[in-house]
Amino acid sequence: MRSYKIKILVAVIALSLLKIMSCTPESCFEETMAYVKATLYQSSTDKNAAPASFTLFGAGVDTNKIYDNSNSTMQALIPLNPSADSCTFVIVINSETDTLVFWYDSFAHLISKECGYTYFHSLDSLTLTTNAIDTVIINNIYVTTNDAENIRLYY
Amino acid sequence: MLQQTMQRISVYIISILFVLLCCIPEAKAQDEPPDTVIIPLKIRAGIDLAGPAVYLYDNDNLNIEGFVSADLNAKTGIFIGMGYSNFKYSQYNYEYLSNGYFLKAGVDFNILKPETSIGKYWAGIGLRYGLSLYTSEIPSFEHESYWGTTITTIPPESYMGHYLEVSPGFRAEVFNNFSMGWSVNLRRLIYSGTGKDIRPIYFPGFGTGDKTVGFGFNYFLTWNIPFKKISVQIKQEEPEQTEETEEIEGT
Repeated sequence: MRSYKIKILVAVIALSLLKIMSCTPESCFEETMAYVKATLYQSSTDKNAAPASFTLFGAGVDTNKIYDNSNSTMQALIPLNPSADSCTFVIVINSETDTLVFWYDSFAHLISKECGYTYFHSLDSLTLTTNAIDTVIINNIYVTTNDAENIRLYY
Repeated sequence: MLQQTMQRISVYIISILFVLLCCIPEAKAQDEPPDTVIIPLKIRAGIDLAGPAVYLYDNDNLNIEGFVSADLNAKTGIFIGMGYSNFKYSQYNYEYLSNGYFLKAGVDFNILKPETSIGKYWAGIGLRYGLSLYTSEIPSFEHESYWGTTITTIPPESYMGHYLEVSPGFRAEVFNNFSMGWSVNLRRLIYSGTGKDIRPIYFPGFGTGDKTVGFGFNYFLTWNIPFKKISVQIKQEEPEQTEETEEIEGT
């Protein structure tokens, strides 16, 4: 019985020492950016489909386009500005232009010791013009680094 | 790199010491055992040498720790530990500071037989609850996005963290009433006190706070004060039946 206890104790200690001695990776391998995940739906078919042409950029930042005439975008990743409480984007779908404004709160979140901190957001509301876009549905107000859909854009 | 090398060397040296120290009780145990053994119950006060040793080559990580324990009987003792920690860390995009105090309380179980331990040797496991009172601060963190670079400061805030700890280890009396010994500490976070978003990179007593499991190591120098002697009956082990005997009985 005593020998059995000592064996368990030695095994626990050996495993602990191995863990303490093991190398800790100092590189970051995790996603560090929290985007609004906007899934594009065709109103006529109610199916997730990429428009023939999709362009997205921040208002006043038209020289730096996030998507530029893309024909394969089924889900757009939209970056919010953590220094502001609202963000305006210009969306061009099949040559028709709309404006989308997000209102939100931002808060710091620790990813990991290696990756450090990032900003997550909580969506309050959004406003939009309806030239190409019919409707927007908010499915999940928490904008994080996970893959969950936040909004659904019907065009 | 230097830190990892030093850590490994320390672990190897301590392991060798452990093996040497463990041989002593085993050798004595080979003597003809008496019917009872007198065990001195002791109060112990110890200080950790591993924390200051780590600080010598990593000035960003100071951990000072001590404990007081008292034997309840030949196998069990109560333990109270306390300490102070000051931690700094910086990465390419953030800096982090935390400092504060921690308190641990629990029980120690000696798995050595009384005739082997004779009040001088201890090999066993400690179970403890840990409470940490600390301040955490992010002097700067930088976030780059489509909209540019945001530099933020999160000011110092006080938190209270809780955790459980299992500490297997060994201890031997090397001089009269002075012991040396070590333990590894396996910790399970209960709550860091900060909420899920601004979890601490490190918090005193627990260690790296961005994970729910923590590991640590102590090397204690301990002063023992005997306060009572007890007589413990030695259990005589019954000879085990061999398979050969069982087969003969079966036929």
